[in-house]
Amino acid sequence: MNGEEIIRFERVTKEYDGMVVLDDVSFAMERGKFYTLLGPSGCGKTTILRLIAGFIEPTQGTIYFHGKPIHHVPPNKRQVNTVFQDYALFPHLDVFENVAFGLRIKKMKEADIRQKVSEALRFVNLEGYERRRIQEMSGGQRQRVAIARAIVNEPEVLLLDEPLSALDLKLRTEMQYELRELQRRLGITFIFVTHDQEEALAMSDYIFVLNKGKIQQFGTPKEIYDEPINRFVADFIGESNILSGRMIEDFLVEFTGKRFECVDRGFAPNEPVDVVIRPEDLELVAPGDGQIVIRVDSLLFRGVHYEICGYDENGNEWLVHSTKKAEVGETVGLRFEPEAIHVMRVEREDEGA
Amino acid sequence: MKRTHWWGRVYLLIVFAVMYTPIVYLMYYSFNSGGAMHDFQSFTLEWYRDVLSDDRLLMIVLNTLVIALLSAAIATILGVIGALAIYYVKRQRTKNALLALNNVLIVSPDVIIGASFLLLFTVAGIKLGFTSVLLSHIAFSVPIVVLMVLPKLEEMSPTLIDAARDLGAGPWQVLSSVVLPFLAPSIWAGFFMALTYSLDDFAVTFFVTGNGFSTLSVEIYSRARQGISLSINALSTLLFLFTMLLVIGYYVLSQKGGRMYGIGGRK
Amino acid sequence: MTERAWRNWYLVPYGIWLVLFVIAPIVFLLYESFLDIDGHWTVANYEKVLTPIYLKMMAYSFWYAFLITLVSLLIGYPTAYWLTKTRHKQLWLLLLILPMWVNLLLKVYAFLGLFGTYGLANALLQTLGVGPRQLLFTDFSFVFVSVYIFIPFMVLPIFNALEELPPSLIDAARDLGASAWTTFRRVVFPLTLGGVKAGCQAVFIPALSLFMITRLVAGNRVITLGTAIEQHFLVTQDWGMGATIAVVLMAAMAVIVVLTGTGRKEGSR
Repeated sequence: MNGEEIIRFERVTKEYDGMVVLDDVSFAMERGKFYTLLGPSGCGKTTILRLIAGFIEPTQGTIYFHGKPIHHVPPNKRQVNTVFQDYALFPHLDVFENVAFGLRIKKMKEADIRQKVSEALRFVNLEGYERRRIQEMSGGQRQRVAIARAIVNEPEVLLLDEPLSALDLKLRTEMQYELRELQRRLGITFIFVTHDQEEALAMSDYIFVLNKGKIQQFGTPKEIYDEPINRFVADFIGESNILSGRMIEDFLVEFTGKRFECVDRGFAPNEPVDVVIRPEDLELVAPGDGQIVIRVDSLLFRGVHYEICGYDENGNEWLVHSTKKAEVGETVGLRFEPEAIHVMRVEREDEGA
Repeated sequence: MKRTHWWGRVYLLIVFAVMYTPIVYLMYYSFNSGGAMHDFQSFTLEWYRDVLSDDRLLMIVLNTLVIALLSAAIATILGVIGALAIYYVKRQRTKNALLALNNVLIVSPDVIIGASFLLLFTVAGIKLGFTSVLLSHIAFSVPIVVLMVLPKLEEMSPTLIDAARDLGAGPWQVLSSVVLPFLAPSIWAGFFMALTYSLDDFAVTFFVTGNGFSTLSVEIYSRARQGISLSINALSTLLFLFTMLLVIGYYVLSQKGGRMYGIGGRK
Repeated sequence: MTERAWRNWYLVPYGIWLVLFVIAPIVFLLYESFLDIDGHWTVANYEKVLTPIYLKMMAYSFWYAFLITLVSLLIGYPTAYWLTKTRHKQLWLLLLILPMWVNLLLKVYAFLGLFGTYGLANALLQTLGVGPRQLLFTDFSFVFVSVYIFIPFMVLPIFNALEELPPSLIDAARDLGASAWTTFRRVVFPLTLGGVKAGCQAVFIPALSLFMITRLVAGNRVITLGTAIEQHFLVTQDWGMGATIAVVLMAAMAVIVVLTGTGRKEGSR
């Protein structure tokens, strides 16, 4: 880690009524980066957010903020603000008063409040909406009010709890760009929680993939996409073909009963492994030229490409994204480069991240 | 929208005619110089003059209003605190137990409430009169306020409180600038409900009122037991008009409620 | 002060209210029911409750409460149903609620005139050729006035239940081939049963313990449990006996509340 550390979790565990939702998690985050906590519901991502915000306290372990433990610092005293999933805008206050809420608590002067609020509203493109009621705002506008309300307090860390999940697809894509842009302009740390892997890949500097209260993998979007560390990450981060296989030796892996050249090494001879091949890395060729031969079972037109699903002679299912069309029932060959093969250790029950 | 069948409309008309006949009947004969609730003889305001010159009756009206406003105000405060207390109880079983106890006074018949309060005041050595009536009215209004406020509280997204704390609000500020304004419409509804229950109560008051003190309901009862007197009719007409004013006031308030608290959010 | 301390503080005033005005009165009532008129310990009150006089009174009370509830339901359900179909629903609803704001005793008093020998009701009967009848101080007038008083409490919960019913369910039933009547019987009525229960509870319990209507329009003839309690506490001063009847009535009511589900409905007084 080369930047300045802002948040550090050290062996943090959180239990609710004996249920472990966060299991002995340690990590650190730098100032000014865009982090995403990615995982299915119940994986512990929101728990991490609430721990940082201070709404809950860890059962075990320590959380550091600028190197100092921040237990027993109530949420209202933390340099952290949250954008909530349901926005949590105060229905009895108008846009201006919602944004001004934190400043009024700090007993700031009226003139300063006015200036800061209009600045924040300008930042999220909501000039002129000051006196609107929350009920009169659309979903995307409420989203912006929630962001303005958080950033007007100049937090060092902005927590975003699935803030885009209530928006429709088009608006969501727009907001992804805007949020990324906003983070660059503000230069503060964003911690973004989502279960949408595309969102995570598009926006983040770094991604934490979580499952069952543990961090599965940490890395840049590219690292996570290209080199998933296990079956869960590979499956969660995108559509993939995952097959069981055996590492014969360095740079040689066996699956579907055939041996293939690959770029991975460092495994024990004959170690059982999982192999991932992304659907877009598979090329449709004539049956004779294919490393694998499949029989096409179904075909969907996805606009940019066709999504082809078929089975090889061993009954393994293969998913292919191709701009070429194939007919259902047709036999086709599949080709792929050694770089397209990602070899992963098989997950054991006791193995963490 | 679907149209009502003609027999549906006729049915409703009959029901509403029956509902309003007694009230109209009362008001109509309040202008009868004949002195009975039949055979309208000629128009007179004699009974109204009677009512307005009856100092004792006016004193009773004043008592009733003071009891209603005071008890409703205190019950509203207690009820809001009670709703918050129940809301914050985490254990479901404790919560259910509190709710069950809360509802005891709502499902109990007035006679039993009256009798048991009479016992309570006797044991506690509280003299029957203003104090005992006021305490009783507060006591039976509290659970009503709780029931009006609690659903609104449960409806409030918990992230709203988180958001306020996140923005720097301490416990008092969370309460005063988020929770209470959010609850305002239901608090007003609870207050008005308590007010009506107090104004309308007869049975409980009848038990705990003693000799020196009386409210309108009790007074009407003791007069009605002596037979028909058209000054009761005049009084009921006046009360009905007053009630209408209250209802209109309530509707205006509840319509405006949202707006009012939308503007006055600063502290 | 911490968040938790605040939350516990709320329990203090509310808890005091609970203890003083909910728990203590019940305890005193129970205690008093074991005292005779001179303040000595006795179980004679409970023995007396089981004599034919009181058992008959209880039976009467329950029978009349049942009758009042039934009539209220029979009149109230169609009223609520057609109310939801009117065009100015809110206005009609307001008109229904308005009489609830008129002092109960004034409404009862009005019937003294309406049902009197020369009142409107008898005038109507006369034009129909039935001739003047004794209406006041009869069972009929008692039930009629009670239903009149309680009907809004029956209509409101049913109206709310009907309003909450998603219209698509009715469309779905019709779409699946049900006739209007079958739709009502198989879909609408079962789904509004919660409102019906709430309404019945809101009528039955107060109807059990009425005493002012009895005193004013039934001429002391229908002696209900409510009248008996009032009689013992305020007239004969036998508080022990009054308390005993109250305890029995409360026990009966607890059974009813349990049988009809929770008592979490407003407006049941």
